[in-house]
Amino acid sequence: MEIILGAFVTSGLTLFIFSFLYKDNPFFKIAEHLYMGAGLAWYIQLTIYKVIIPNVWGPFRKAWENGDWFTIWMIVIPTVLGISLITQFIPRISWMSRYGFTFLMGYSAGLALPTGLSTDFMNQILGTIEPFASVLNLTTGQLLNSIILLIGTISVLFYFFFSVEHKGAIKKISNFGIYFLMIYFGASFGNTVMARFSLLYGRFDLLVRYSNAQYFYATNWIILGLVIYFIVEKFLIKKVIANNS
Amino acid sequence: MKETLNKMLKIDRRWLFLLLTFAIIIPILKPIGIPSKSTSDAVKDIYDFIDKLPPGSTIILSLDYDPSTAPELHPQAAVVLKHAFKKNLKVIIMTFLAGSGGLIDELVRTIPTKYSKEYGRDYVLLPYMPNILAALTQMSSNIYAFYEKDIDGKPLREYEMMKNIQSYKDIACVVDITGTAILDYWVAYVGDKYKVPILGGVTAISQVGYGPYLQKKQLKGLIGGMKGAAEYERLISEVGKGTSGIDALNIAHILVIVFIIFSNIVLLILKFL
Repeated sequence: MEIILGAFVTSGLTLFIFSFLYKDNPFFKIAEHLYMGAGLAWYIQLTIYKVIIPNVWGPFRKAWENGDWFTIWMIVIPTVLGISLITQFIPRISWMSRYGFTFLMGYSAGLALPTGLSTDFMNQILGTIEPFASVLNLTTGQLLNSIILLIGTISVLFYFFFSVEHKGAIKKISNFGIYFLMIYFGASFGNTVMARFSLLYGRFDLLVRYSNAQYFYATNWIILGLVIYFIVEKFLIKKVIANNS
Repeated sequence: MKETLNKMLKIDRRWLFLLLTFAIIIPILKPIGIPSKSTSDAVKDIYDFIDKLPPGSTIILSLDYDPSTAPELHPQAAVVLKHAFKKNLKVIIMTFLAGSGGLIDELVRTIPTKYSKEYGRDYVLLPYMPNILAALTQMSSNIYAFYEKDIDGKPLREYEMMKNIQSYKDIACVVDITGTAILDYWVAYVGDKYKVPILGGVTAISQVGYGPYLQKKQLKGLIGGMKGAAEYERLISEVGKGTSGIDALNIAHILVIVFIIFSNIVLLILKFL
């Protein structure tokens, strides 16, 4: 029974959202509001049962029972700092949130800066020039690839360098970089289209699965209901227009 | 003729949506079996890496995706898990995304039994952890400092496969399947810092952005989107959701290309008429 109900809810909400492609309607609004409300409610209960209880309340209770004050303070201090972040929404005591943010920013920056510099900056520069360190060992294809990569990287960086006015030679190089950007955006857009079609396939696959007898033809009933609604609505609108004229 | 062509350009987009719907639904109802022979280097790299691992090696499979990206990433997770079990690797499954619980549950309900794999001996499930940075850095010295218990609340150390596992140095590689930027964290905080081989599976949208990591070998291999999953399924000779989706993808792409070419031809004709 729960499976059939789940099938009706899943295919129903999917089709309600898709119905917007035809035109705006109350079913779409229901699904939209449910998405926000149910999603938020799910996230709140998840935070309570998967984060607060196992990582804060559970260890706190265990430490309290054992009289382990060191662990108690190790739990209470970060918890208070975390709660202090919420005080930013209350103007009178929003100053408390500064302490929480200080730790958050300091910890994040301390971890992120050296790692980011190493992974996304130094390693990438190395990757661009490394092939030229052993240029005699490269095949023609590899050498051409490395040269194109080097020219592309430098010309795109020129495009994004705004401290100098783009004129003369700099303008020519940055314009050349635009072509590399266009190639990247084209590839990115093509991949985005493929990704969206993949998600659409996933939804349709689910709708087709739930149109079987095993799920009491859930998809079919929902589609029938929506078609009837739109026909009736069109008929009613025509009647209203006819009455008004 | 000009009016007809102008009308064509102003066609109600709902007709195009309907055509696209048919383009995707028809291959689902009646599979066509369009051949797909190409395999990208990045997918081949990840397959080769896992294939060459000695039996009994332990890998971390971090499944960080939720239902919004499941059509692309769930087939990837399934095929990597199948490959790992085929090679008799031990798998530690973990997640840093709250919404992945149901999807992981679906995977472990069906795949391990097919390969006669036992929980605790061949794979373990770790609970959801909210703070990824803390978890990734802590696991470098002691996995149990963060993951004292498994998802069922049982002590992790007591499982047979965890007996010789202390930190990253006991892990052969990490495979992260994600629709978020969590793969960047694995590369930066684990791969580059502790020299652990990182392999990835991402959505097609993100795939392009990981080119620099692949080129520099910070990522040893990458599966991109449903197409990547289909390629991997072909490599391990197992048909799954990736392969079955390729028909629909191909038809939909052909339809979009036809729309683009047709509209451009019409525009050119109108320009010179």
